[in-house]
Amino acid sequence: MHIPDAFIPIGQALVYWVIALVFVALALRWARRSMGEEKIPLVAVLAAGIFAIQALNIPIPGGTSGHMVGATLAAIVLGSPYAGVFVLTLVLLVQGVIFGDGGITVMGANIINMGVIGGFIGYYGYTAVRRLIENPYAAAFIAGWASLFLSAILCAVELAVAGTFPLVAGLTMMGIYHAIIGLIEGGITAIALYLIASARPDILEHPLGVGA
Amino acid sequence: METKRFVIIGIAVAILIAIAAPFLASSNPDGLESAFFSIYGAKSFMGSDLDEETAAAAEEEAVAVTGNDFSHEPLIPDYSIPGLDKAGEVLAIVVGTLLMLGLAFAVAKVSTRSGS
Repeated sequence: MHIPDAFIPIGQALVYWVIALVFVALALRWARRSMGEEKIPLVAVLAAGIFAIQALNIPIPGGTSGHMVGATLAAIVLGSPYAGVFVLTLVLLVQGVIFGDGGITVMGANIINMGVIGGFIGYYGYTAVRRLIENPYAAAFIAGWASLFLSAILCAVELAVAGTFPLVAGLTMMGIYHAIIGLIEGGITAIALYLIASARPDILEHPLGVGA
Repeated sequence: METKRFVIIGIAVAILIAIAAPFLASSNPDGLESAFFSIYGAKSFMGSDLDEETAAAAEEEAVAVTGNDFSHEPLIPDYSIPGLDKAGEVLAIVVGTLLMLGLAFAVAKVSTRSGS
């Protein structure tokens, strides 16, 4: 879902950058105030793992493919929506600058779509679903799916404002493709959370058994 | 599991994914690209055939619509190194993964330290 430069006019792209930088600043403040030093290696491993798994495009029906974004996983494991913003901003920076994956002028929009929406919908979706369902992995699956789906919906709206996509066709196509890709996001989020929780239950900011 | 072991296993898993990705990954356009190509007539919504010419024209059309012709030369475009084929892709993604590990570690360390 990495928007390339050509898809959004510079003026609009700068507005997204300003909004994104507000969240990046808040994410840095979260790291300074709330992220314990013992979490530093975990953040590094999550960022590396998320970068690697984003390179793994899984085919979906319709001659299309999709990959995990990972903000929901980072947000659940580190216990804050800002963790999703923190990790995804770094991932998108490396992808855009070094690999040309996602534009430079539009990186703000990509940070909003994947980092902010991914982190916030992922984190609050997870905590909300956990009030209804005990199983943390089912909650992680649902939150992962919802975060990816809503990222795509916002992306379609941005591209409609940009004039690149017609609104209805854009929403329909982005919605349908990403409703399917969301299953990948939800599935890998749940599996990764299970593996991390099994290996090191104490490393999770909010232990799974105690409720989120 | 002690932290050191947990971190080493985590890094190993990330690198394994990076090595496997070029062999396993689908080369189909992703959801956004697919929607773009469908809207601009290079591909049918649920079809797997991509008309390369129309696809290239669509990219120019997008620049014409938005006026954003910004471009930069990435160091390793498209996660591939010319002439190295799959080995180049493996190398690109492994390098990216290690770079990510180092960058995230450094930024996280500076961020937590600056306030304490």
